[in-house]
Amino acid sequence: MTDMALVVAVGIVTFASRVSYLWRPRRTTHPQPFLDLFPLALFVSLATVGLATPDGAFRVGPGLAAAVGGVVGAVVGRRSIIWVLAFGSAAFYLARLL
Amino acid sequence: MMDRSSLLKGIRDAAGLAPALFAFGVLFGVLAVDRGMSPWLAVASSAIILSGAAQFALVGLLPAGTGAVLVAVTGLALRHVPMSAALARLLPADLSRVRRLALAYVLVDETFGLTVVAARRSQVVVADYKTGADVMLVVNWLAGTAVGAGLGSMVDPTRFGLGELFPLLFLGLAAPLVRGRRAWVTAGLAVVGALVAVQVLPPAWQVTAAAVVAAGVGSRFHD
Repeated sequence: MTDMALVVAVGIVTFASRVSYLWRPRRTTHPQPFLDLFPLALFVSLATVGLATPDGAFRVGPGLAAAVGGVVGAVVGRRSIIWVLAFGSAAFYLARLL
Repeated sequence: MMDRSSLLKGIRDAAGLAPALFAFGVLFGVLAVDRGMSPWLAVASSAIILSGAAQFALVGLLPAGTGAVLVAVTGLALRHVPMSAALARLLPADLSRVRRLALAYVLVDETFGLTVVAARRSQVVVADYKTGADVMLVVNWLAGTAVGAGLGSMVDPTRFGLGELFPLLFLGLAAPLVRGRRAWVTAGLAVVGALVAVQVLPPAWQVTAAAVVAAGVGSRFHD
């Protein structure tokens, strides 16, 4: 398979999963509480996997400092995305300096 | 007819994430060219696939062959199914097929997160809000990829640690969703689930598995 064909194949797999419930209006078989909570679970999982080592611990370094700063930003800024990014970025670059 | 204020709000909100999206695009462009992709194919892959995770898996696993790439991408893509269901619930039944396909094409973690938060917090026309956020995302992702692919090895984007900042972006998207006991339990389960998943599952399946289990178990709790 050429690289271009592989790119198209990956695009088809990705789009097929994205369009699964959007192709036409229909009732979802997923229960509503699950769908309410899935975005939160997804983002926390993405963040955790990005900070984890293969043996299941958190990688100590600027990335973890950014996450801790982000949590502080969330508390101070009442869960605002911008506050999380601002505090987290500040903590990240501070940790890199130290 | 689009609701202009929702569209502009989507653009404005996504603009806050634009630097990170652009930088991530640069990172992908540099890596893709470094792994032997032509610059035009790197940009084409960003336009066709439009998924950072899938594209990084693609370039990372190219030497392992087609099968390895497709297995990994399928694992990553499965998380889009519940995302698709969650977004579909927020859209009006009479939304046109073309609009639905366009929203599906850019069903990306970042603008999905912004859309879910906006739908819960404010009075926006969801389809128009997401369209605005999607435009901002696509422009930055493609521009970043083009710059990275053009510069190639002349630049080292890891010097600024931008890749390490991506977990922070997802924390920012999660923060507004943490309301009530059930949400806290789910967030805790997602952390534990992800830490277990990195030990026992291949990378491409870790996030999907942890998120599905956390949301499934968390939904059994009451606020």
